[in-house]
Amino acid sequence: MIACENVCYSYDGRTRALDGVSLTVADGEFLCILGGNGSGKSTLAKHLNALLIPDEGRVVVDGLDTADPEYVYDIRSRVGYVFQNPDDQIVATLVEDDVAFGPENLGVDTEHLEGRVAHALEGVGLTSFERRETHALSGGQKQRVAIAGVLAMQPQVLVFDEATSMLDPRGRSGLLRVCRELRDRGMTIVMITHFMEEAAAADRVVVLNEGRIALEGTPQEVLTRADDLERLNLEVPPACRLALALCRRGLELTPAVDENEVVHAVEQALGHAGPARASERSDAADGECASPHGAAADTEAGTTAESCLSFEHVSYSYERSVRERARRRRSPKREKRAAWGANADAVWALHNVDLAVRRGEFLGLAGHTGSGKSTLIQHMNGLVHPTMGRVRAFGRDLADRRGADGLTCKVGLVFQYPEHQLFAPTVFEDVAFGPRNLGCTADEVDERVRRALGQVGLAFDRIAEKSPFALSGGQQRRVAFAGVLAMEPEVLVLDEPAAGLDPAARREFLDLVAELHRSGLTVVMASHSMDDLAALCDRIVVMNEGEVLMQGTASEVFARGDELHRVGLGQPAAQRMAVRLAADGVPVRLNRLYDLDALADELAAIAGSPFAGDGKGGAR
Amino acid sequence: MNEVFSFGSYYPGDSILHRLDPRTKLLGGLAFLIVSLLARTFAALGVIAGFVVLLYLLARVPAGRAARSLAPLLAIVVIVSVLNLVTNREGAVVFQLGFLRIFEGGVRAFAFLGLRMLLMMCAMSLVTMTTMTLDLTHAVERLLAPLARVGLPAHELGMMLGIALRFMPQFATELQITYRAQVSRGARVASGPLGAVRMLSSVSIPLFTSIFRHAETLSAAMEARCYHGEQGRTRLHPLAFHRRDALAAAVLVALAVAVVTCG
Repeated sequence: MIACENVCYSYDGRTRALDGVSLTVADGEFLCILGGNGSGKSTLAKHLNALLIPDEGRVVVDGLDTADPEYVYDIRSRVGYVFQNPDDQIVATLVEDDVAFGPENLGVDTEHLEGRVAHALEGVGLTSFERRETHALSGGQKQRVAIAGVLAMQPQVLVFDEATSMLDPRGRSGLLRVCRELRDRGMTIVMITHFMEEAAAADRVVVLNEGRIALEGTPQEVLTRADDLERLNLEVPPACRLALALCRRGLELTPAVDENEVVHAVEQALGHAGPARASERSDAADGECASPHGAAADTEAGTTAESCLSFEHVSYSYERSVRERARRRRSPKREKRAAWGANADAVWALHNVDLAVRRGEFLGLAGHTGSGKSTLIQHMNGLVHPTMGRVRAFGRDLADRRGADGLTCKVGLVFQYPEHQLFAPTVFEDVAFGPRNLGCTADEVDERVRRALGQVGLAFDRIAEKSPFALSGGQQRRVAFAGVLAMEPEVLVLDEPAAGLDPAARREFLDLVAELHRSGLTVVMASHSMDDLAALCDRIVVMNEGEVLMQGTASEVFARGDELHRVGLGQPAAQRMAVRLAADGVPVRLNRLYDLDALADELAAIAGSPFAGDGKGGAR
Repeated sequence: MNEVFSFGSYYPGDSILHRLDPRTKLLGGLAFLIVSLLARTFAALGVIAGFVVLLYLLARVPAGRAARSLAPLLAIVVIVSVLNLVTNREGAVVFQLGFLRIFEGGVRAFAFLGLRMLLMMCAMSLVTMTTMTLDLTHAVERLLAPLARVGLPAHELGMMLGIALRFMPQFATELQITYRAQVSRGARVASGPLGAVRMLSSVSIPLFTSIFRHAETLSAAMEARCYHGEQGRTRLHPLAFHRRDALAAAVLVALAVAVVTCG
C-alpha cells in the first residue's frame, strides 16, 4: 500500500529529522510507530500523505509517487490524516459541514454528500450529531468528528498522529474502539503514539529514534525489550513489566504485552501452587497486613491534622441565576447523546463538595473530563467563587475580598499545558512576572527566579536570557512551572502536569513534583493516570459529575474497583492484575495496594520461589 | 459575553422565514430598509409596522426574546429621537421649561423617527435571528461572486469569515484560561499603568502565539483534506431559490407599493 524508500528530510537544511527511513505498510495492516518527543515520528507520518515531500529517497502510495504534484489529491484522498489537537483540524461550526469539507473539496455531488456524512458519523458512533456545534463537543467527540471528516473522503489508509494524546481515558478508549472497528472493516491504520498500551494492539511496531528506525517487529518482539525501550525514552507496558519482574524472580514465563496473556501465563506458571496453599496463606495474611478497616481508622485520625484548604458544602453552577438553573433542570434531557462519551448538559459543575487539603500532604484528584476537577481546582485560590458554600484557605474565606488578598499567592496554580501561557521575551522576565506583581524588590526578584529555576532543574546561567519560545516543549513546561514556584506558594495545585509528554519526560516531571512535595510543599494533583496517582499520592479524591464520589488513601480508593469502573475510571495496572488473578483463584491477598514490584514479590512468594524479594526495584 | 452582545443572535426554528434562502433575506432586508426610508406619513409607518409584526408571528420568535435582542440598541433609538425632539423648531410651542422649548414639529419628528428606526432594527435583527451565521457568510460569498471577475476574492473572504466564526468561542475560552493563569500569578489590572501594561501583554501574547499555532496546523489539516480553493468544490447544502423566495420578493414589492401610495 505504502512504500518508503530511504526517506531523508530536514526542516532547516542542517539537522535531519528523518535520516534514511525505509518502511512498507501492507494493505489492511495495523502499524504502530513509536518514539520519544523529537524522534521524527510525526515527520514520517506527514510524508505518508504528501504533506511533506522527502529531500532524498521516495514515498510511493498505491503506485503513486508523492513527489509528483499531479497525484497530490489522489494520494491525500487515499491516505486520511488525523492530527493531534482536535481543535486545530475542525474547519466548520456545524458537525455536518465539517465532515462534508473533505468530500466537498473532492467535488463529490451534492446528492451523495449527505449519505457520506451520515455514514461517516455512524462509523465513529456519532449518529444524528449533524446539527450540533463543534465547539460544544468534548475533546473525544471532536476527535471523532475529525475522524469522520477523514472517513467521508473514503480513504484506504488512516494515519493517526498522536491523535489520543490530548484526550482523557474515556475519550481515548472511545477513539481506540473506533480504530479497532475500522480495522476490522479492512482499513489500513498507521498509528503514531507514545502510549504503550495502544502499541500492544498493533500488528507491527516500528520504533523511531533520531530519525532512524531503531527497532521493528511484532509488539511481542519489540515491547518486551525493556532496556532498549528505556534508552529510546519509552517504557515497557505494565503487564509486560510484571512478566519481566517475575522472570527475574525465577519464574518461568514468556513475557507478553497483552494483559490477558500475562495473567494467563502467571496462572499457568503458578498452576502447581494449588488451592491447598491458598487457605494456609489467607490465615497468615490476617495477622501481618493492615486490614482495610484499620486503614479507615487511620484516615479518621488524620482529619484532625491541620488543613490548609477546606471546602464546605461547595456548589458551583455556570448559570448564575436561580431561574435559569430551574429552567434547565426542568427542560427535557436532550435525546441526542453520543453512543458513548460524557454528558455536557449538567446543571451543577460542582455539587455539595466537602473536602479538606491537609498541610504537607500529597492529594490526588481523579475523575474524567467534565467531572468538575478543573472547576474544583480553580476554587482553591479564589479564581472562582462558589455559588453556594464556602472555601477556606488557611482559615480565611476566599470569597471575602479583604481577607483573601494575601492568600491567593499562597496557593500556586499550574494549569494544564502551562507552557501556553508563556509570554515574556526572556525566561527571566517570565518567571519574574509573579514576584514583580507581588511588589518584590529587584534583588528579591532575582533571588526568587534563581531559586525557582533551580527547583525545576534548569540552569539559571544557561537559560535565563533565552527566549522561552526557543526552548523544547519539556523545558517550556519547566519554565512555566518555575513561574508559579517563584510566587513561593505553600500549596501547589497541578492540573495534569504530565499531559502530552513522552514516557521519559513524564517520569522526570513526576519525579520533580514528588521532589517538591518532599521539600515541604503541600501538593494537589489532578491526573487521569491511576498509576501515577497510586504511586505518588497520600490521599485520593475521586470526582464524578460534580460530586465527591469517594476519598481516602490510595489503597482504600483503589480497593473499590467496581465503583470506579462504574464511573468510567480504572484501577492501577498492578492492582487490576492482582484482582484478576485473585478472581481466577490465585491466592493473592487483596487487602493492600500493589505496585508492580510488590505484586511480583507476592506472586513469587506464592510460587515458593527462593528468589522472592530479590529483584527489589528491578521491575522498572 | 453572549448576554451582552445578543443583538440578533440566532434563534433556532423551522418557520418559512428560517427556510428562506439567506440571499433572499439579505437582499430583502436591504429592500426593506429602503422602503421604510420612503415612508413619509404615519399611515405608511403603520403598514410597515403591521408587516413587521406579521413577520415576527411567522418566524415564531417569542416577544421576550425579540425585546431582549433589541435592548442593547434601544439606546441609539432613544438618543436620536430625543435629539430630534429638542432640535426641531417647526409649528407651535407645546411645552416650555427654561430655555428648553419643544415644538409641535419636534414631537412629530420624535415619534416618527423613533418608530421608523425601531421598525428597521426589528427587521434587521429578524434577518440574523432566522439565519445561521454560516449561511450568512455563504450568502455574502455568493452575492459577491460576480465581483470575483474584477479580482475580489469572494470565496476566500467567505472561507475566512467562516473559520473566524468557528474559532471565536475557542479563543474566548483560551483567553479566559490565560487570564486566570496570570491572575493566579498575582497580575492585577488595578495596580497602576505599569501593572496594567504587563497584565495586557501577559494575556495577549499567549493568545497571539496560540492563534499562530492553530493557524499553522489548521492549514496543514485543510491541505490534508484536499482543500485547494474554490475550484471543483461542491456544497453539502447548496443555496437554491425556491417558490417561497419568489413569494417573499412579491410580498416586498406589494409592501413598497402600499408604502408609496400611503405617502
